[in-house]
Amino acid sequence: MATRLQFENSCEVGVFSKLTNAYCLVAIGGSENFYSAFESELADVIPVIKTSLGGTRIIGRLCAGNKNGLLVPHTTTDQELQHLRNSLPDQVVVQRIEEKLSALGNCIACNDHVALTHTDLDRETEEIIADVLGVEVFRQTIAGNILVGSYCAFSNRGGLVHPHTSIEDLDELSTLLQVPLVAGTINRGSEVIAAGMTVNDWTAFCGSDTTATELSVIESVFKLREAQPTAIVDEMRKSLIDTYV
Amino acid sequence: MVQYNFKKITVVPNGKDFIDIILSRTQRQTPTVVHKRYAISRLRQFYMRKVKYTQQNFHEKLSTIIDEFPRLDDIHPFYGDLLHVLYNKDHYKLALGQINTARNLISKVAKDYVKLLKYGDSLYRCKSLKVAALGRMCTVIKRIGPSLAYLEQIRQHMARLPSIDPNTRTMLICGYPNVGKSSFMNKITRADVDVQPYAFTTKSLFVGHTDYKYLRYQVIDTPGILDRPFEDRNIIEMCSITALAHLRAAVLFFLDISGSCGYSIAQQAALFHSIKSLFMNKPLIIVCNKTDLQPLDGISEEDRKLVMEMKAEAMKTVIGQGGEPTNEEGVLLTMSTLTEDGVIAVKNAACERLLNQRVELKMKSKKINDCLNRFHVALPKPRDQKERPACIPQAVLEAKAKQAAEKEKRKTEKELEDEYGGAGVYSASLRKNYILANDEWKEDTMPEILDGHNVYDFIDPDILLRLEELEREEGLRQEEEEGDDFEMDGQELSLEEQEALAEIRKKKSLLIQQHRMKKSTAESRPVVPRKFDTDRKFTTGRMGRQLSSLGLDPSLAINRARSKSRGRKRERSVDKREGDGGDAMDIDDNQASKKLRLRSTSRSRSQSRPPGEVIPGEGLKDSAQKIKAIKLAKKSVLKRNKNARRGEADRVIPTLKPKHLFSGKRSIGKTQRR
Repeated sequence: MATRLQFENSCEVGVFSKLTNAYCLVAIGGSENFYSAFESELADVIPVIKTSLGGTRIIGRLCAGNKNGLLVPHTTTDQELQHLRNSLPDQVVVQRIEEKLSALGNCIACNDHVALTHTDLDRETEEIIADVLGVEVFRQTIAGNILVGSYCAFSNRGGLVHPHTSIEDLDELSTLLQVPLVAGTINRGSEVIAAGMTVNDWTAFCGSDTTATELSVIESVFKLREAQPTAIVDEMRKSLIDTYV
Repeated sequence: MVQYNFKKITVVPNGKDFIDIILSRTQRQTPTVVHKRYAISRLRQFYMRKVKYTQQNFHEKLSTIIDEFPRLDDIHPFYGDLLHVLYNKDHYKLALGQINTARNLISKVAKDYVKLLKYGDSLYRCKSLKVAALGRMCTVIKRIGPSLAYLEQIRQHMARLPSIDPNTRTMLICGYPNVGKSSFMNKITRADVDVQPYAFTTKSLFVGHTDYKYLRYQVIDTPGILDRPFEDRNIIEMCSITALAHLRAAVLFFLDISGSCGYSIAQQAALFHSIKSLFMNKPLIIVCNKTDLQPLDGISEEDRKLVMEMKAEAMKTVIGQGGEPTNEEGVLLTMSTLTEDGVIAVKNAACERLLNQRVELKMKSKKINDCLNRFHVALPKPRDQKERPACIPQAVLEAKAKQAAEKEKRKTEKELEDEYGGAGVYSASLRKNYILANDEWKEDTMPEILDGHNVYDFIDPDILLRLEELEREEGLRQEEEEGDDFEMDGQELSLEEQEALAEIRKKKSLLIQQHRMKKSTAESRPVVPRKFDTDRKFTTGRMGRQLSSLGLDPSLAINRARSKSRGRKRERSVDKREGDGGDAMDIDDNQASKKLRLRSTSRSRSQSRPPGEVIPGEGLKDSAQKIKAIKLAKKSVLKRNKNARRGEADRVIPTLKPKHLFSGKRSIGKTQRR
């Protein structure tokens, strides 16, 4: 199920939230609308946690995580770290990383098994990612963009990448990640995929500008309903051609 | 893509208002004060400025009109023709041309009069020239008054035109008047077009939107068309013709097979054949409406022949597209807008055929190559044997299964917020959902800083483990001690020890007595601190003497006391630390030394200094001089202290509100001067 929502009139919901299979982080806003959208969808299953990181609300871009762990940047305060540790289940490891590139969410894209990282990340950081998140780490770019965390979003069941990714790159990435991938957009043509959406294995949240076509691509490739990724080339092909060309 | 929005054209004022606006602006924005005594160059410059400013304003205003009105040759031919049909291209162009001429005329007038003003030799002449210039400009504007009025009318009409995007997916509904075009439109869109049982209810184009396969389609309802020569058609019909001619759309030709619209099938077929040239290269669908009154099977033989003829014509459009000629469905459809029978089928067929045509065209374009990657689903090739399963909690699957049955509503934060005063008033607790061993701990306050230290730096993740270990150790020790219970008791001491104990107790009571006596008479004598009393000072020598007088061996006690002596603090600072080797720059050697140094520097310096020691900066030469100075200082206060007089170190409360400053009348400037 994909849900369309907004954070205080901004459609970049991936900036203000982080969704994984074991927990969901949500920025603290002026009202509870944004939080409750996540809460009603998820709170019966996984903890939905309101938090800030380093006093900012752009938590989705600052942290990276999956069901095994959560990596937060060095700007995170002790109190925030304590809050996260208190709110998360014990099997989720929270780790603060001393890394120069502190927007970890922009530099790391991961699911529960594989992670793509920025090419300039420290070797130590890479090791921490592998240990804490329990993933294989690959240094990659997406359509020439080094901010892999911003330009792709993937779960254990599928992935959406920057619209300019070539077919060869798509195949290569798909083999690395072992999930079906599609090049696409979000929020009525935005290329910054991860900023516009946040996804896990059974649900997704997109900015409210997302068009019906984009949403149906998302639901197919992430297998959120019964739809399979192949639906994109079968049933939706004509609609996609008419929209893009 | 060009957006056609005629709603943003600025208002065109009529001739009189135009003049008022410009002249009042000139009056407001240029200097108004002038004297005839001014130098003539200044006078000329004053009036030239007025003339030029007025001309500039006219130019600006007229230019916006010319720029903002669309040029019929530059916009999409659909809009070009539509505007021509509605407003008459020649008239429109003429009006804009007149505005342009007026603009040039005004510039010319201004140029001439500025030139004349250069020769003005008095204030009066200059002023007359200015008046003449402005007057001529206003006359020019007055003359184009009708054009301005016409343009304003057009502007108002254009603002009300539907915003049709000529390039998007479009469905066009056309046919004779009163065949059910608008009712169909109302069924598939939310346009809410007026439907009435008489001809020409729809007098202009109407736009609605509908969705099919994730895409948005623009549906255009056109006014009815009558079958008559092109020249005789009125403006309302011409709107339809324009739309048919210029929009690349799926055309739905509506046919009233019941004949209740007042036109027979033959008449409608004649119309179809007369405008069929407009259907070229467009997906054409013939829709037989009002099947609730007359089913398609029930029409007469010659009518059926006519319908089939039309169908054959429509099939040509299918073949014309290069589509499969055998595909007959989606060409002739029946429906009833009254019973909503087949309405959706018609919509779907139209959308599908339009989409197919557009996709086919687009597949041939060059742009498709840039987008090919977006129609590709990259499926992973296995690279190792590892299983990478998805992780969906059982609860989600259960919830999905349960969703059909029932779903208990959880009270969301949003509802709580609304209940407790709305956003900005309600503040949700962040600790509400903590996952802790004991729920009561949730609201416990945790200090952030304690004794100047960040508490978090000292948090030990395995503190509980270590505590347990310590407790175990403690338990072991206690058990041991219980084994050899220590107790001070007279019976267990030897005779010798008993004597010593008695001696100690005796001495102790004696000392207490002595102290009490001294205390009762203490006021009469100066009290010397024990530190400076050589007889009572605590020294190891004295302790030795006393202990040996008791008949005990003092060496052990003395050694112990010496080992406990702290010495002077400065001696322990890092500078004297061994192993450092004076290498003060090497700060990264180890953490322990860093801590030690930080601590020693942060503490204040020891005060245990002999009173005579000279501290740099005091201004005394040596300790002898300092001792002398101290003595002098003590001597100077001795007498005063004995007499209990007030000294400079005593606390003083000055008169806070001196009476003489706060009473009596005062006049200007007296507050400070009393």
